[in-house]
Amino acid sequence: MIYLDYAATTPLDERVFDAMLPYLKPDGFHGNPASTHGPGFKARAAVEKARAQVAGLIGADAAEIVWTSGATESNNLAIKGALEFRGFPKNAKAAHIVTSRIEHKCVLDTCRHLETLGARVTYLKPDALGRVTPEAVMAAITPDTVLVSLMWVNNEIGAVNDIERLAPRLRERGVMLHVDAAQAAGKLAIDLKAVPIDLLSLSAHKLYGPKGVGALFVRRKPRARLAPQMHGGGHEQGMRSGTLATHQVVGMGAACALAMQQFDADVAHWRGLRDALWAGLRDIPGVLRNGPDGGDGEHRVAPHVLNLSFPGVEGEALRASLPAIAVSSGSACSSATAEPSYVLRALGRDDELANASLRFSVGRATTLAQIEQVAKTVIAQVAWLRELSPLPVPAVTR
Amino acid sequence: MTARDSDLDNPYGYAPEIWRLFRTAPNAGAFPPGTDGVVAAEAGTPAARSVLRLELRVDAGMVADARFRAYGCPASIAVGAYIAGWVRGRSMAELSTLKAGDLREALEIPEDRAHCALLGEDALRAVLARYSREST
Repeated sequence: MIYLDYAATTPLDERVFDAMLPYLKPDGFHGNPASTHGPGFKARAAVEKARAQVAGLIGADAAEIVWTSGATESNNLAIKGALEFRGFPKNAKAAHIVTSRIEHKCVLDTCRHLETLGARVTYLKPDALGRVTPEAVMAAITPDTVLVSLMWVNNEIGAVNDIERLAPRLRERGVMLHVDAAQAAGKLAIDLKAVPIDLLSLSAHKLYGPKGVGALFVRRKPRARLAPQMHGGGHEQGMRSGTLATHQVVGMGAACALAMQQFDADVAHWRGLRDALWAGLRDIPGVLRNGPDGGDGEHRVAPHVLNLSFPGVEGEALRASLPAIAVSSGSACSSATAEPSYVLRALGRDDELANASLRFSVGRATTLAQIEQVAKTVIAQVAWLRELSPLPVPAVTR
Repeated sequence: MTARDSDLDNPYGYAPEIWRLFRTAPNAGAFPPGTDGVVAAEAGTPAARSVLRLELRVDAGMVADARFRAYGCPASIAVGAYIAGWVRGRSMAELSTLKAGDLREALEIPEDRAHCALLGEDALRAVLARYSREST
Protein backbone atom coordinates (compact mmCIF):
# COMPACT_ATOMS: atom_id res chain seq x y z
CA MET A 1 0.00 0.00 0.00
CA ILE A 2 1.36 3.39 -0.98
CA TYR A 3 -0.05 6.17 1.19
CA LEU A 4 -0.53 9.46 -0.64
CA ASP A 5 -3.20 11.01 1.53
CA TYR A 6 -1.10 13.13 3.88
CA ALA A 7 -3.50 16.05 3.48
CA ALA A 8 -6.17 13.89 5.13
CA THR A 9 -3.91 12.94 7.98
CA THR A 10 -0.28 12.15 8.69
CA PRO A 11 1.20 9.33 10.73
CA LEU A 12 2.67 10.31 14.07
CA ASP A 13 6.34 11.19 13.68
CA GLU A 14 8.47 8.72 15.66
CA ARG A 15 10.08 11.64 17.51
CA VAL A 16 6.66 13.02 18.45
CA PHE A 17 5.66 9.58 19.70
CA ASP A 18 8.78 9.48 21.88
CA ALA A 19 8.00 12.90 23.31
CA MET A 20 4.43 11.87 24.18
CA LEU A 21 5.20 8.51 25.72
CA PRO A 22 6.29 9.63 29.21
CA TYR A 23 2.94 11.41 29.59
CA LEU A 24 0.98 8.23 28.89
CA LYS A 25 2.82 5.93 31.28
CA PRO A 26 1.22 5.26 34.65
CA ASP A 27 4.44 6.23 36.41
CA GLY A 28 4.85 9.32 34.28
CA PHE A 29 3.57 12.83 34.45
CA HIS A 30 -0.02 12.08 35.24
CA GLY A 31 -0.81 15.24 37.18
CA ASN A 32 -3.62 17.57 36.19
CA PRO A 33 -1.98 20.65 34.64
CA ALA A 34 -4.44 22.78 36.60
CA SER A 35 -3.45 21.30 39.97
CA THR A 36 -1.30 23.26 42.37
CA HIS A 37 1.12 20.62 43.59
CA GLY A 38 4.27 18.91 42.35
CA PRO A 39 2.75 16.54 39.73
CA GLY A 40 0.40 19.30 38.57
CA PHE A 41 3.27 21.77 38.17
CA LYS A 42 5.23 19.20 36.16
CA ALA A 43 2.34 18.65 33.78
CA ARG A 44 1.78 22.40 33.59
CA ALA A 45 5.41 22.95 32.62
CA ALA A 46 5.06 20.43 29.78
CA VAL A 47 1.86 22.10 28.56
CA GLU A 48 3.48 25.54 28.61
CA LYS A 49 6.55 24.29 26.77
CA ALA A 50 4.28 22.86 24.10
CA ARG A 51 2.32 26.11 23.93
CA ALA A 52 5.55 27.97 23.20
CA GLN A 53 6.46 25.41 20.53
CA VAL A 54 3.13 25.87 18.74
CA ALA A 55 3.44 29.65 19.02
CA GLY A 56 6.96 29.43 17.61
CA LEU A 57 5.80 27.80 14.39
CA ILE A 58 3.44 30.66 13.57
CA GLY A 59 5.26 33.66 15.03
CA ALA A 60 2.84 34.10 17.93
CA ASP A 61 3.22 34.54 21.69
CA ALA A 62 2.59 31.47 23.83
CA ALA A 63 -0.22 33.28 25.64
CA GLU A 64 -2.07 33.55 22.33
CA ILE A 65 -2.48 29.78 21.96
CA VAL A 66 -5.68 28.08 23.18
CA TRP A 67 -5.75 24.28 23.14
CA THR A 68 -8.70 22.57 21.49
CA SER A 69 -9.57 19.07 20.28
CA GLY A 70 -8.67 19.88 16.67
CA ALA A 71 -9.28 22.28 13.81
CA THR A 72 -13.02 21.58 13.73
CA GLU A 73 -13.37 22.76 17.30
CA SER A 74 -11.00 25.67 16.69
CA ASN A 75 -13.11 26.81 13.74
CA ASN A 76 -16.34 26.46 15.73
CA LEU A 77 -14.88 28.38 18.66
CA ALA A 78 -13.51 31.14 16.45
CA ILE A 79 -16.65 31.74 14.40
CA LYS A 80 -19.39 31.16 16.98
CA GLY A 81 -17.27 32.64 19.74
CA ALA A 82 -16.58 35.87 17.84
CA LEU A 83 -20.26 36.42 17.06
CA GLU A 84 -21.53 35.49 20.49
CA PHE A 85 -19.05 37.77 22.21
CA ARG A 86 -20.70 40.61 20.30
CA GLY A 87 -24.09 39.68 21.65
CA PHE A 88 -25.27 37.46 18.81
CA PRO A 89 -27.95 36.21 18.46
CA LYS A 90 -29.76 38.05 21.26
CA ASN A 91 -28.51 41.58 20.73
CA ALA A 92 -26.92 41.56 17.31
CA LYS A 93 -29.31 40.09 14.76
CA ALA A 94 -27.58 41.98 11.96
CA ALA A 95 -24.28 40.06 12.23
CA HIS A 96 -22.73 39.37 8.82
CA ILE A 97 -19.97 36.86 8.02
CA VAL A 98 -17.94 36.63 4.83
CA THR A 99 -16.50 33.26 3.88
CA SER A 100 -16.06 31.17 0.72
CA ARG A 101 -17.86 28.26 -0.90
CA ILE A 102 -14.80 26.02 -0.72
CA GLU A 103 -14.07 26.23 2.99
CA HIS A 104 -13.87 23.03 5.00
CA LYS A 105 -17.27 21.61 5.94
CA CYS A 106 -16.73 22.55 9.58
CA VAL A 107 -16.62 26.24 8.61
CA LEU A 108 -19.52 25.98 6.16
CA ASP A 109 -21.70 24.03 8.57
CA THR A 110 -20.91 26.42 11.42
CA CYS A 111 -21.92 29.34 9.20
CA ARG A 112 -25.11 27.57 8.15
CA HIS A 113 -25.93 26.95 11.78
CA LEU A 114 -25.47 30.66 12.53
CA GLU A 115 -27.73 31.50 9.59
CA THR A 116 -30.50 29.53 11.27
CA LEU A 117 -30.06 31.84 14.26
CA GLY A 118 -30.33 34.97 12.11
CA ALA A 119 -26.79 35.67 10.91
CA ARG A 120 -26.23 36.71 7.32
CA VAL A 121 -23.45 34.88 5.50
CA THR A 122 -21.84 35.68 2.15
CA TYR A 123 -20.29 32.60 0.54
CA LEU A 124 -17.81 33.95 -2.01
CA LYS A 125 -17.21 32.04 -5.21
CA PRO A 126 -13.53 31.31 -5.79
CA ASP A 127 -11.84 31.99 -9.13
CA ALA A 128 -11.17 29.14 -11.55
CA LEU A 129 -7.98 28.24 -9.67
CA GLY A 130 -9.69 28.10 -6.31
CA ARG A 131 -8.58 31.39 -4.83
CA VAL A 132 -10.61 34.11 -3.16
CA THR A 133 -8.89 37.42 -3.79
CA PRO A 134 -8.60 40.19 -1.18
CA GLU A 135 -10.54 42.40 -3.61
CA ALA A 136 -13.47 39.95 -3.68
CA VAL A 137 -13.50 39.82 0.12
CA MET A 138 -13.33 43.60 0.53
CA ALA A 139 -16.17 44.07 -1.96
CA ALA A 140 -18.38 41.83 0.18
CA ILE A 141 -17.80 43.76 3.43
CA THR A 142 -20.82 45.65 4.76
CA PRO A 143 -21.19 47.83 7.86
CA ASP A 144 -22.63 44.76 9.64
CA THR A 145 -19.71 42.48 8.81
CA VAL A 146 -18.32 41.06 12.04
CA LEU A 147 -16.00 38.42 10.76
CA VAL A 148 -14.24 37.11 7.66
CA SER A 149 -13.37 33.41 7.78
CA LEU A 150 -11.08 32.16 5.03
CA MET A 151 -8.80 29.17 4.72
CA TRP A 152 -5.13 29.83 4.00
CA VAL A 153 -4.64 26.65 1.96
CA ASN A 154 -7.48 24.71 0.40
CA ASN A 155 -7.45 21.09 1.53
CA GLU A 156 -8.53 19.59 -1.79
CA ILE A 157 -6.51 21.54 -4.32
CA GLY A 158 -3.78 23.28 -2.33
CA ALA A 159 -4.71 26.76 -3.61
CA VAL A 160 -3.22 29.50 -1.41
CA ASN A 161 -5.25 32.57 -0.55
CA ASP A 162 -3.38 35.85 -0.32
CA ILE A 163 -3.95 36.25 3.40
CA GLU A 164 -0.85 38.46 3.76
CA ARG A 165 -2.49 41.11 1.55
CA LEU A 166 -6.01 40.63 2.89
CA ALA A 167 -5.28 40.84 6.63
CA PRO A 168 -4.04 44.47 6.79
CA ARG A 169 -7.00 45.65 4.73
CA LEU A 170 -9.47 44.02 7.11
CA ARG A 171 -7.59 45.42 10.08
CA GLU A 172 -7.96 48.87 8.56
CA ARG A 173 -11.71 48.33 8.24
CA GLY A 174 -11.99 46.96 11.77
CA VAL A 175 -13.30 43.56 10.65
CA MET A 176 -12.03 40.46 12.43
CA LEU A 177 -10.20 37.85 10.37
CA HIS A 178 -10.26 34.14 11.15
CA VAL A 179 -8.00 31.87 9.11
CA ASP A 180 -8.25 28.10 8.98
CA ALA A 181 -4.58 27.14 8.70
CA ALA A 182 -4.96 23.38 9.18
CA GLN A 183 -3.38 22.73 5.76
CA ALA A 184 -1.03 25.71 5.85
CA ALA A 185 0.93 25.19 9.07
CA GLY A 186 4.28 23.60 8.33
CA LYS A 187 3.68 24.02 4.58
CA LEU A 188 3.83 27.82 4.28
CA ALA A 189 5.89 30.24 6.34
CA ILE A 190 3.47 31.86 8.79
CA ASP A 191 4.48 34.91 10.79
CA LEU A 192 1.64 36.34 12.82
CA LYS A 193 3.89 39.16 14.03
CA ALA A 194 3.83 40.45 10.46
CA VAL A 195 0.33 39.44 9.33
CA PRO A 196 -2.53 40.93 11.39
CA ILE A 197 -4.78 37.86 11.61
CA ASP A 198 -7.04 37.81 14.68
CA LEU A 199 -7.85 34.11 14.94
CA LEU A 200 -6.07 31.14 13.36
CA SER A 201 -6.96 27.43 13.59
CA LEU A 202 -4.42 24.63 13.73
CA SER A 203 -4.56 20.85 13.82
CA ALA A 204 -1.84 18.52 15.10
CA HIS A 205 -2.56 15.47 12.98
CA LYS A 206 -1.96 17.30 9.70
CA LEU A 207 1.64 17.84 10.71
CA TYR A 208 2.77 14.52 12.15
CA GLY A 209 1.23 15.10 15.57
CA PRO A 210 -1.53 13.11 17.26
CA LYS A 211 -5.19 13.17 16.32
CA GLY A 212 -7.57 14.76 18.80
CA VAL A 213 -5.67 17.94 19.56
CA GLY A 214 -5.52 21.33 17.92
CA ALA A 215 -5.16 24.96 18.81
CA LEU A 216 -6.68 28.33 18.17
CA PHE A 217 -4.47 31.39 18.00
CA VAL A 218 -6.31 34.29 19.64
CA ARG A 219 -4.52 37.60 19.19
CA ARG A 220 -3.82 39.62 22.34
CA LYS A 221 -2.84 42.95 20.77
CA PRO A 222 -5.33 44.09 19.73
CA ARG A 223 -7.30 41.66 21.79
CA ALA A 224 -9.56 39.27 19.87
CA ARG A 225 -12.45 38.42 22.14
CA LEU A 226 -14.45 35.21 22.09
CA ALA A 227 -17.36 33.74 23.99
CA PRO A 228 -16.48 30.21 25.14
CA GLN A 229 -18.27 27.28 23.52
CA MET A 230 -17.27 24.80 26.22
CA HIS A 231 -18.27 25.92 29.69
CA GLY A 232 -16.61 24.59 32.80
CA GLY A 233 -13.64 25.36 34.97
CA GLY A 234 -12.45 28.42 33.09
CA HIS A 235 -9.37 26.76 31.62
CA GLU A 236 -7.48 28.37 28.74
CA GLN A 237 -8.18 31.92 29.87
CA GLY A 238 -11.85 31.13 30.08
CA MET A 239 -12.08 30.38 26.36
CA ARG A 240 -12.05 26.59 26.47
CA SER A 241 -12.78 24.68 29.63
CA GLY A 242 -11.78 21.08 30.18
CA THR A 243 -8.78 19.31 31.69
CA LEU A 244 -5.94 19.41 29.18
CA ALA A 245 -4.81 16.15 27.60
CA THR A 246 -1.16 16.59 28.53
CA HIS A 247 0.14 13.83 26.24
CA GLN A 248 -1.76 15.19 23.22
CA VAL A 249 -0.69 18.75 23.90
CA VAL A 250 2.94 17.66 24.30
CA GLY A 251 2.61 15.80 20.98
CA MET A 252 1.31 18.85 19.19
CA GLY A 253 4.12 20.96 20.64
CA ALA A 254 6.75 18.45 19.55
CA ALA A 255 5.19 18.21 16.08
CA CYS A 256 5.26 22.00 15.66
CA ALA A 257 8.85 22.22 16.89
CA LEU A 258 9.84 19.56 14.33
CA ALA A 259 7.87 21.27 11.56
CA MET A 260 9.74 24.49 12.29
CA GLN A 261 13.12 22.82 12.55
CA GLN A 262 12.89 21.00 9.23
CA PHE A 263 10.60 23.40 7.39
CA ASP A 264 12.90 24.08 4.44
CA ALA A 265 13.82 20.43 3.98
CA ASP A 266 10.19 19.30 4.27
CA VAL A 267 8.91 21.82 1.74
CA ALA A 268 11.69 21.04 -0.74
CA HIS A 269 11.04 17.29 -0.36
CA TRP A 270 7.28 17.63 -0.90
CA ARG A 271 7.56 20.04 -3.79
CA GLY A 272 10.07 17.78 -5.54
CA LEU A 273 7.80 14.74 -5.19
CA ARG A 274 4.65 16.63 -6.15
CA ASP A 275 6.36 18.00 -9.26
CA ALA A 276 7.72 14.55 -10.15
CA LEU A 277 4.23 13.08 -9.91
CA TRP A 278 2.79 15.80 -12.13
CA ALA A 279 5.66 15.32 -14.61
CA GLY A 280 4.79 11.63 -14.66
CA LEU A 281 1.07 12.11 -15.18
CA ARG A 282 0.74 15.24 -17.27
CA ASP A 283 1.05 13.38 -20.57
CA ILE A 284 -2.11 11.37 -19.96
CA PRO A 285 -4.33 12.70 -22.77
CA GLY A 286 -6.78 15.27 -21.48
CA VAL A 287 -5.65 15.19 -17.83
CA LEU A 288 -6.52 18.38 -15.97
CA ARG A 289 -4.80 19.91 -12.98
CA ASN A 290 -7.28 21.34 -10.52
CA GLY A 291 -6.08 24.48 -8.78
CA PRO A 292 -2.97 26.56 -9.30
CA ASP A 293 0.06 25.07 -11.05
CA GLY A 294 2.68 25.84 -8.45
CA GLY A 295 4.29 28.91 -9.94
CA ASP A 296 5.05 31.87 -7.66
CA GLY A 297 3.02 35.02 -7.17
CA GLU A 298 -0.45 34.64 -8.60
CA HIS A 299 -0.19 30.87 -8.77
CA ARG A 300 0.86 29.94 -5.26
CA VAL A 301 0.03 26.41 -4.26
CA ALA A 302 0.85 24.37 -1.18
CA PRO A 303 3.83 22.08 -1.78
CA HIS A 304 2.18 18.78 -0.86
CA VAL A 305 -1.03 18.59 -2.94
CA LEU A 306 -1.72 17.58 -6.55
CA ASN A 307 -5.35 17.34 -7.64
CA LEU A 308 -6.12 15.94 -11.09
CA SER A 309 -9.23 15.14 -13.12
CA PHE A 310 -9.18 12.35 -15.69
CA PRO A 311 -11.80 12.90 -18.42
CA GLY A 312 -13.32 9.78 -19.91
CA VAL A 313 -13.14 7.60 -16.80
CA GLU A 314 -15.78 7.16 -14.14
CA GLY A 315 -14.69 8.30 -10.68
CA GLU A 316 -15.63 5.30 -8.60
CA ALA A 317 -14.14 2.86 -11.10
CA LEU A 318 -10.96 4.93 -11.11
CA ARG A 319 -10.66 4.78 -7.34
CA ALA A 320 -11.42 1.06 -7.30
CA SER A 321 -8.74 0.53 -9.96
CA LEU A 322 -6.10 1.80 -7.53
CA PRO A 323 -6.69 -0.41 -4.47
CA ALA A 324 -3.03 -0.38 -3.49
CA ILE A 325 -2.78 3.42 -3.47
CA ALA A 326 -4.41 5.42 -0.66
CA VAL A 327 -5.57 8.70 -2.20
CA SER A 328 -8.65 10.87 -1.81
CA SER A 329 -11.22 10.67 -4.57
CA GLY A 330 -13.62 13.39 -5.64
CA SER A 331 -16.15 10.75 -6.59
CA ALA A 332 -19.62 10.88 -5.12
CA CYS A 333 -19.30 7.37 -3.70
CA SER A 334 -16.49 8.49 -1.40
CA SER A 335 -18.38 11.40 0.09
CA ALA A 336 -20.93 11.25 2.87
CA THR A 337 -23.39 13.33 0.86
CA ALA A 338 -23.23 11.24 -2.36
CA GLU A 339 -22.20 14.32 -4.29
CA PRO A 340 -19.00 14.85 -6.21
CA SER A 341 -16.52 17.30 -4.68
CA TYR A 342 -18.21 20.64 -3.96
CA VAL A 343 -14.81 22.29 -4.13
CA LEU A 344 -14.14 21.21 -7.72
CA ARG A 345 -17.67 22.09 -8.76
CA ALA A 346 -17.22 25.59 -7.31
CA LEU A 347 -14.15 25.89 -9.55
CA GLY A 348 -16.38 25.26 -12.55
CA ARG A 349 -15.64 21.57 -13.12
CA ASP A 350 -18.73 19.63 -14.17
CA ASP A 351 -19.97 16.64 -12.20
CA GLU A 352 -18.12 14.17 -14.42
CA LEU A 353 -14.76 15.86 -13.95
CA ALA A 354 -15.31 16.47 -10.25
CA ASN A 355 -16.21 12.81 -9.93
CA ALA A 356 -13.19 11.57 -11.88
CA SER A 357 -10.66 13.39 -9.74
CA LEU A 358 -7.94 12.24 -7.40
CA ARG A 359 -6.12 14.23 -4.75
CA PHE A 360 -2.57 13.02 -4.24
CA SER A 361 -0.80 14.44 -1.20
CA VAL A 362 2.78 13.62 -0.34
CA GLY A 363 4.53 13.51 3.01
CA ARG A 364 7.78 12.98 4.87
CA ALA A 365 7.86 9.23 4.25
CA THR A 366 7.02 9.46 0.54
CA THR A 367 9.84 8.36 -1.76
CA LEU A 368 10.58 9.04 -5.41
CA ALA A 369 10.30 5.29 -6.06
CA GLN A 370 6.74 5.38 -4.70
CA ILE A 371 5.90 8.35 -6.91
CA GLU A 372 7.24 6.52 -9.96
CA GLN A 373 5.22 3.43 -9.07
CA VAL A 374 2.05 5.49 -8.57
CA ALA A 375 2.52 7.35 -11.87
CA LYS A 376 3.00 4.04 -13.70
CA THR A 377 -0.09 2.51 -12.09
CA VAL A 378 -2.34 5.52 -12.66
CA ILE A 379 -1.30 5.79 -16.32
CA ALA A 380 -2.02 2.08 -16.87
CA GLN A 381 -5.38 2.10 -15.06
CA VAL A 382 -6.68 5.25 -16.75
CA ALA A 383 -5.72 3.74 -20.12
CA TRP A 384 -7.42 0.46 -19.19
CA LEU A 385 -10.66 2.15 -18.13
CA ARG A 386 -10.68 4.28 -21.26
CA GLU A 387 -10.15 1.21 -23.43
CA LEU A 388 -13.00 -0.50 -21.63
CA SER A 389 -15.32 2.47 -22.16
CA PRO A 390 -17.55 2.54 -25.26
CA LEU A 391 -17.47 6.35 -25.14
CA PRO A 392 -14.85 8.55 -26.73
CA VAL A 393 -12.57 10.46 -24.36
CA PRO A 394 -14.17 13.90 -24.18
CA ALA A 395 -12.07 16.74 -25.47
CA VAL A 396 -11.48 19.14 -22.59
CA THR A 397 -9.58 22.36 -22.87
CA ARG A 398 -6.98 22.90 -20.19
CA MET B 1 -7.93 -6.04 -23.51
CA THR B 2 -5.14 -6.91 -21.12
CA ALA B 3 -6.29 -8.56 -17.90
CA ARG B 4 -5.64 -6.91 -14.58
CA ASP B 5 -4.38 -8.41 -11.36
CA SER B 6 -7.35 -9.80 -9.46
CA ASP B 7 -5.46 -10.79 -6.32
CA LEU B 8 -5.39 -7.30 -4.88
CA ASP B 9 -7.22 -6.63 -1.66
CA ASN B 10 -10.73 -5.28 -1.92
CA PRO B 11 -10.44 -2.38 0.52
CA TYR B 12 -13.75 -0.85 -0.53
CA GLY B 13 -15.85 -3.84 0.47
CA TYR B 14 -17.45 -4.68 -2.89
CA ALA B 15 -19.25 -8.00 -3.07
CA PRO B 16 -16.68 -10.66 -4.01
CA GLU B 17 -18.19 -11.42 -7.42
CA ILE B 18 -18.44 -7.73 -8.34
CA TRP B 19 -14.83 -7.25 -7.31
CA ARG B 20 -13.60 -10.30 -9.23
CA LEU B 21 -15.44 -9.40 -12.43
CA PHE B 22 -14.46 -5.73 -12.16
CA ARG B 23 -10.81 -6.53 -11.63
CA THR B 24 -10.53 -9.22 -14.32
CA ALA B 25 -13.23 -8.01 -16.74
CA PRO B 26 -13.46 -11.26 -18.74
CA ASN B 27 -14.86 -10.80 -22.27
CA ALA B 28 -14.07 -7.09 -22.28
CA GLY B 29 -13.53 -5.49 -25.66
CA ALA B 30 -15.09 -5.66 -29.11
CA PHE B 31 -15.00 -8.01 -32.07
CA PRO B 32 -12.76 -7.00 -34.94
CA PRO B 33 -14.64 -4.85 -37.47
CA GLY B 34 -16.30 -6.97 -40.15
CA THR B 35 -16.77 -10.04 -37.93
CA ASP B 36 -19.72 -12.03 -39.25
CA GLY B 37 -22.98 -12.29 -37.31
CA VAL B 38 -22.27 -9.56 -34.73
CA VAL B 39 -25.29 -7.89 -33.15
CA ALA B 40 -24.39 -4.89 -31.02
CA ALA B 41 -26.33 -2.40 -28.94
CA GLU B 42 -25.91 -0.26 -25.86
CA ALA B 43 -27.88 1.11 -22.95
CA GLY B 44 -27.42 3.88 -20.43
CA THR B 45 -26.32 7.47 -20.68
CA PRO B 46 -23.13 9.23 -19.69
CA ALA B 47 -25.31 11.60 -17.65
CA ALA B 48 -26.28 8.67 -15.46
CA ARG B 49 -22.56 7.86 -15.30
CA SER B 50 -22.97 4.47 -16.95
CA VAL B 51 -23.06 3.06 -20.46
CA LEU B 52 -22.96 -0.64 -21.30
CA ARG B 53 -22.34 -1.90 -24.83
CA LEU B 54 -22.85 -5.56 -25.68
CA GLU B 55 -21.65 -7.34 -28.80
CA LEU B 56 -22.98 -10.83 -29.48
CA ARG B 57 -21.71 -13.06 -32.27
CA VAL B 58 -24.79 -15.02 -33.30
CA ASP B 59 -24.68 -18.21 -35.30
CA ALA B 60 -27.94 -19.96 -36.26
CA GLY B 61 -29.89 -18.32 -33.43
CA MET B 62 -27.29 -19.23 -30.80
CA VAL B 63 -24.78 -16.89 -29.14
CA ALA B 64 -21.36 -18.18 -30.14
CA ASP B 65 -19.37 -15.50 -28.35
CA ALA B 66 -19.82 -12.14 -26.64
CA ARG B 67 -17.91 -9.00 -25.73
CA PHE B 68 -18.76 -5.97 -23.62
CA ARG B 69 -17.51 -2.46 -23.05
CA ALA B 70 -18.61 -0.30 -20.17
CA TYR B 71 -18.27 3.13 -18.66
CA GLY B 72 -19.44 3.25 -15.09
CA CYS B 73 -18.89 2.13 -11.54
CA PRO B 74 -17.38 -1.28 -10.67
CA ALA B 75 -20.83 -2.85 -10.32
CA SER B 76 -21.89 -1.83 -13.83
CA ILE B 77 -18.61 -3.09 -15.27
CA ALA B 78 -19.14 -6.38 -13.43
CA VAL B 79 -22.66 -6.61 -14.84
CA GLY B 80 -21.27 -6.28 -18.37
CA ALA B 81 -18.69 -8.99 -17.75
CA TYR B 82 -21.27 -11.29 -16.18
CA ILE B 83 -23.74 -10.94 -19.06
CA ALA B 84 -21.05 -11.47 -21.69
CA GLY B 85 -20.21 -14.76 -20.00
CA TRP B 86 -23.81 -15.81 -19.33
CA VAL B 87 -25.10 -15.40 -22.88
CA ARG B 88 -22.49 -17.59 -24.51
CA GLY B 89 -23.97 -20.89 -25.71
CA ARG B 90 -27.56 -19.77 -25.16
CA SER B 91 -30.24 -19.24 -27.76
CA MET B 92 -31.34 -15.69 -28.55
CA ALA B 93 -34.80 -16.61 -27.31
CA GLU B 94 -33.39 -17.39 -23.87
CA LEU B 95 -31.77 -13.98 -23.43
CA SER B 96 -34.95 -12.23 -22.40
CA THR B 97 -35.15 -14.49 -19.34
CA LEU B 98 -32.19 -12.77 -17.62
CA LYS B 99 -33.73 -10.01 -15.50
CA ALA B 100 -32.30 -7.30 -13.28
CA GLY B 101 -33.31 -9.32 -10.23
CA ASP B 102 -31.22 -12.28 -11.42
CA LEU B 103 -28.24 -10.01 -11.93
CA ARG B 104 -28.63 -8.52 -8.46
CA GLU B 105 -28.76 -11.96 -6.94
CA ALA B 106 -25.84 -13.38 -8.90
CA LEU B 107 -23.56 -10.44 -8.17
CA GLU B 108 -24.94 -9.44 -4.76
CA ILE B 109 -25.70 -5.96 -6.05
CA PRO B 110 -26.97 -3.81 -3.17
CA GLU B 111 -30.18 -1.77 -3.24
CA ASP B 112 -28.42 1.53 -3.87
CA ARG B 113 -26.82 0.03 -6.99
CA ALA B 114 -29.98 -1.55 -8.39
CA HIS B 115 -29.63 0.73 -11.43
CA CYS B 116 -26.51 -1.19 -12.46
CA ALA B 117 -28.56 -4.37 -12.77
CA LEU B 118 -31.23 -2.50 -14.73
CA LEU B 119 -28.51 -1.24 -17.04
CA GLY B 120 -27.65 -4.88 -17.79
CA GLU B 121 -31.26 -5.81 -18.49
CA ASP B 122 -31.67 -2.73 -20.70
CA ALA B 123 -28.56 -3.60 -22.70
CA LEU B 124 -29.78 -7.15 -23.28
CA ARG B 125 -33.16 -5.85 -24.43
CA ALA B 126 -31.48 -3.41 -26.79
CA VAL B 127 -29.46 -6.25 -28.35
CA LEU B 128 -32.60 -8.38 -28.74
CA ALA B 129 -34.48 -5.49 -30.34
CA ARG B 130 -31.60 -4.94 -32.75
CA TYR B 131 -31.48 -8.67 -33.53
CA SER B 132 -35.19 -8.92 -34.27
CA ARG B 133 -35.02 -5.79 -36.47
CA GLU B 134 -32.06 -7.13 -38.38
CA SER B 135 -33.45 -10.63 -38.82
CA THR B 136 -36.81 -9.50 -40.24
